[in-house]
Amino acid sequence: MAQAANAANARTEFVFNRTFDASREDVWNAFTQPEHLKHWWGAPGSTVEIAHHELKPGGLFHYRMKFPDGRAMWARFIFREIVAPERLVWLNGFSDEHGGLTRNPWVPNFPLETLNTVTLAAENGKTLLTITVVPFDAGDEEAGIFAGGLAGMKMGFGASFQLLADYLARRS
Amino acid sequence: MNDQLNATFAALADPTRRAILARLALGETSVTELAKPFEMSMPAVSKHLKVLERAGLIARGREAQSRPCRLEPGPLREAASWIEEYRRFWEASLDRLEDYLRKMKPAKTKGPRANRSNRSKTKSKE
Repeated sequence: MAQAANAANARTEFVFNRTFDASREDVWNAFTQPEHLKHWWGAPGSTVEIAHHELKPGGLFHYRMKFPDGRAMWARFIFREIVAPERLVWLNGFSDEHGGLTRNPWVPNFPLETLNTVTLAAENGKTLLTITVVPFDAGDEEAGIFAGGLAGMKMGFGASFQLLADYLARRS
Repeated sequence: MNDQLNATFAALADPTRRAILARLALGETSVTELAKPFEMSMPAVSKHLKVLERAGLIARGREAQSRPCRLEPGPLREAASWIEEYRRFWEASLDRLEDYLRKMKPAKTKGPRANRSNRSKTKSKE
């Protein structure tokens, strides 16, 4: 996560790492094949139903997340770059049931789409997965909102904003 | 509520404003005190305070000339929980992926033939 913190000032990007005790091929398959994706992808607590999944540049992955309380949300990928088993790039956004882009339901001026890149690196039989998220085709306001949220994420609960977290805890 | 998150994140986009909020987390402060750690003119600091005030992140006293600033924790708490959700989305997804990979049948990576054909089929670039 140090990498993510460094990126905070340099570039507006959200970076996330995880090492899996599995081969790159397995991680790649789990990330790119619908029969695997439906078992793990999606918002916490939701079940994913896949309406469409076409793994090719420009191809659409369109899915619905169903929550226990009955709510449902559609979202989509548009694949941009597919280099098995090392690199997957897609545009990520919320959508309607027909696959048309929609605004973020909570933060309407969040960038309509983000460009997400997953890279897989083999490390002694394990696989290091890195996800990078950057705003895509965003105006100043959208980019600013992404940057603000990101800064809150990186700082807010890390170093100097710990004070703030403590303060909020005392007040609640 | 949606507009509030927009306003909060827009305000947080600036490092000086984040530092001001961190300072105010220690307690109410006059503008003069607030400006000290920043090598910045008072009008520049005032500008940032106006943005923070408009976003509802701080409140300023009316009485004293110094118009002391204090943190308004409500919107920040809301933003923090949204951010936490966003972070948790990725964390939880990777947790589930980790669990799933443990259960998943490993691909036959030893078979060079299968490997090669798999690669050539899926390798593509925009």
